[in-house]
Amino acid sequence: DDEVHVRPKVTEVDPQEEANFEQELRAVLQESMEQRRLELRGRPTLNMMIPMNVFEGSMKDHHGRGIGGESGDEALDEEAGERKEIQVKVLVKRGNKQQTKQMYIPRDCSLVQSTKQKEAAELEE
Amino acid sequence: EDTGDDDNYDYGKGDFTEHACRYCGVSNPACVVRCNVPSCRKWFCNSRGNTSGSHIVNHLVRAKHKEVCLHKDSPLGETILECYNCGCRNVFLLGFISAKTESVVVLLCREPCLSVNALKDMNWDLSQWCPLIDDRCFLQWLVKVPSEQEQLRARQISAQQINKVEELWKTNPEASLEDLEKPGVDDEPQPVALKYEDAYQYQNVFAPLIKLEADYDKMMKESQSKDNVTIRWDIGLNKKRVAYFVFPKEDNELRLVPGDELRLRYSGDAAHPAWQSVGHVIKLTAQEEVALELRASQGVPVDVNHGFSVDFVWKSTSFDRMQGAMKTFAVDETSVSGYIYHHLLGHEVEVQMVRNTLPRRFGAPGLPELNASQVFAVKSVLQKPISLIQGPPGTGKTVTSAAIVYHMAKQGQGQVLVCAPSNVAVDQLAEKISATGLKVVRLCAKSREAVSSPVEHLTLHYQVRHLDTSEKSELHKLQQLKDEQGELSSSDEKKYKALKRATEREISQSADVICCTCVGAGDPRLANFRFRQVLIDESTQATEPECLIPLVLGAKQVVLVGDHCQLGPVIMCKKAARAGLAQSLFERLVLLGVKPIRLQVQYRMHPSLSEFPSNSFYEGTLQNGVTINERQSSGIDFPWPVPNRPMFFYVQMGQEEISASGTSYLNRTEAANVEKIVTTFLRSGVVPSQIGVITPYEGQRAYIVNYMSRNGALRQQLYKEIEVASVDSFQGREKDYIILSCVRSNEHQGIGFLNDPRRLNVALTRARYGIVILGNPKVLSKQPLWNSLLTHYKEHECLVEGPLNNLKQSMVQFQKPKKIYN
Ligand SMILES: [Zn+2]
Ligand SMILES: [Zn+2]
Ligand SMILES: [Zn+2]
Repeated sequence: DDEVHVRPKVTEVDPQEEANFEQELRAVLQESMEQRRLELRGRPTLNMMIPMNVFEGSMKDHHGRGIGGESGDEALDEEAGERKEIQVKVLVKRGNKQQTKQMYIPRDCSLVQSTKQKEAAELEE
Repeated sequence: EDTGDDDNYDYGKGDFTEHACRYCGVSNPACVVRCNVPSCRKWFCNSRGNTSGSHIVNHLVRAKHKEVCLHKDSPLGETILECYNCGCRNVFLLGFISAKTESVVVLLCREPCLSVNALKDMNWDLSQWCPLIDDRCFLQWLVKVPSEQEQLRARQISAQQINKVEELWKTNPEASLEDLEKPGVDDEPQPVALKYEDAYQYQNVFAPLIKLEADYDKMMKESQSKDNVTIRWDIGLNKKRVAYFVFPKEDNELRLVPGDELRLRYSGDAAHPAWQSVGHVIKLTAQEEVALELRASQGVPVDVNHGFSVDFVWKSTSFDRMQGAMKTFAVDETSVSGYIYHHLLGHEVEVQMVRNTLPRRFGAPGLPELNASQVFAVKSVLQKPISLIQGPPGTGKTVTSAAIVYHMAKQGQGQVLVCAPSNVAVDQLAEKISATGLKVVRLCAKSREAVSSPVEHLTLHYQVRHLDTSEKSELHKLQQLKDEQGELSSSDEKKYKALKRATEREISQSADVICCTCVGAGDPRLANFRFRQVLIDESTQATEPECLIPLVLGAKQVVLVGDHCQLGPVIMCKKAARAGLAQSLFERLVLLGVKPIRLQVQYRMHPSLSEFPSNSFYEGTLQNGVTINERQSSGIDFPWPVPNRPMFFYVQMGQEEISASGTSYLNRTEAANVEKIVTTFLRSGVVPSQIGVITPYEGQRAYIVNYMSRNGALRQQLYKEIEVASVDSFQGREKDYIILSCVRSNEHQGIGFLNDPRRLNVALTRARYGIVILGNPKVLSKQPLWNSLLTHYKEHECLVEGPLNNLKQSMVQFQKPKKIYN
């Protein structure tokens, strides 16, 4: 119940500083890209192993929480009656072993939106 | 040996989380990532604050670092972010992509993995690649942005500070933001402010001031070694060796207090080896004798009395606790409620009321009925998260405080913490609160456990020794053994300590109220306690960091009691005082617009005595709760110039002199007249305990004590029983009759200490029945406040001169007051 309402100070980001930062950020990006291109002259190869079992039982829309349900349920939009978030499995590598981790990402994230649309389109076909 | 002190206790350190954002201090695991560059490994959060990118992005860009690792408590666990295909760890190149279906995603680098044709063949939608860093922030669903509340309580770091600290890290990776602000050795310290951006800025201002004061205190106390000290040996009730000796103080700077630690040394002779031992001051006698209880009883050369040396053993404990409290205030967001946090820093916070049901009656059992202003104070305080109570002299602030604590304790919010800067005030409060029937534990510093206390039965150490349950018999047995033998075998000692700690904990936890000094609230024995409700009495006599110690134990409701029209905290280091360390938190809150609730009825002074202070210091609001009749000294035949006005200003023209120490003043004529007045009081039927002699100067205090014992017309013992003290040390106390010796009498110099209106207020408000002021009106009248005091006395025909048995109104001319004072 530690609600407190502080009148926030109106601080605006200095446009000069912002421009400066943007420039530096771009430089880092540019440099990173170039470095990669130099490093990997040859054709890159694909050595991704996506274990097929990760797709099992995950093709449907997720209304319920998966196992664990670790991050609370603040994402539930009571009025709309549906979740603003969607559960995904993130595939990561530990050494040579693949692992999946549950995560929630916003429903409006481009990552999931287009696939949903595509799915919907496929369904119509 | 159990020295009882907390030398090994690391203040504030335990509260630092390793994964706190190195810019702003946010430490929510969901919001931070670690820079994975081996030489760096610093944590940063994903909030922007006032800068153009989030803190982590800021760092990566400025430092040209490119790898990060997630926190182990984040959804993905402790994971170094890398491309699923090629293992590239450059976060500027990474992004998420769906593996054919929405429900499985992987991190893939933009170059080259995203351009591999095979992916397209696998039917992946590469256009939906979602960069890890977007809009100069990490993806918010991967690394959360701290809440608005979290951000408001974090350090408000600017882009300039970020650039500076990143520069600093290039040469010193361990540097902190504080290092940016560190003043040079000879720089004037940064002065205190009214408002602070955040608790880090607050700490940046106060930490150097506390350090200055600590250094000064150390330097001064450690230079106080005395040789050729003569000892009188004794044995205390607890069978410990006690050494009595006179420890002369040459100026008014060092005043020994019970609990101080001293080292006693003997260089040895033909019959005795060299010896030394440390002990605690347990008492100071009226004859200025110090009683030192030695820690070790073995090998004490008790048959020797002369040729000892005494050194002061300086302890940094109280200063460490202040520094620790400031650190906790900054890094631990549970240290105080959000409301208190922002309010203390002077941020604009929406007014908040405490939702508690109010009691039907505001008084408390075992206490006197409350008057209207006291009831109003109790009622308002119970409804507010922060309140100030101003208690002018004699207005019953202890009773009011006790009533507040009683009602707070009854609200069931957990234990109430009650503090004051001085032990005397804590004892008084503990006694009053205990009278209401609440269970009170008075926690004393271990160094003061041997110091006698009027509320001994409430002290934790006493309760531990006298707990009456069978399972405590083991502890009692060991205690007895320890008392008899002086020490225990190491296994017994271990057992003893564990049992004692458990018992202390049990007793403390069962109390309704814990009472201790502000510094005592930092005792490790309270480290795991939380107090939502805190009351600090005499808070105007504490420095801000001192007040903070009891507050950072979880305060949600704070009551500061005090009087900013009386003397503030004593700061020895001039540099620190100039920078504003002497301003109390109470005063700053007043300046910030918190209106103190003033108690308005005084029960101490004869109405004639309260008139001037009321008008000069309290806008005339002080009402009298005592009548002239109740303050009539019946049977006392004293030559008051106006019989119904027990006050006069006794005109003195004697010269001031510099005292032997060269740092103080004395005035022989005034001292001689003080003796005459004291003698007249004693002859008229007043007893010594009713009289107090006060003066602003230590030189004069010492001179008067000496003079009276040598030249007193009556039995010497009578004069010895009369308390002669500095004005400052008399704050918070009263006597039936007060004699004030002003000392200063030099037309060409200022009036020093007397210039402070708050000191004059204190001096004038100590007496219940009568006051005599001795001073030189010609000199004093230059100062406007003294001028009006003199005018007041003159108008009431109380400005007199001549022999005591034939006082006549004085016609001495006043000087025109100078416009400005202070
Ligand atoms: Zn780094
Ligand atoms: Zn941060
Ligand atoms: Zn890659």
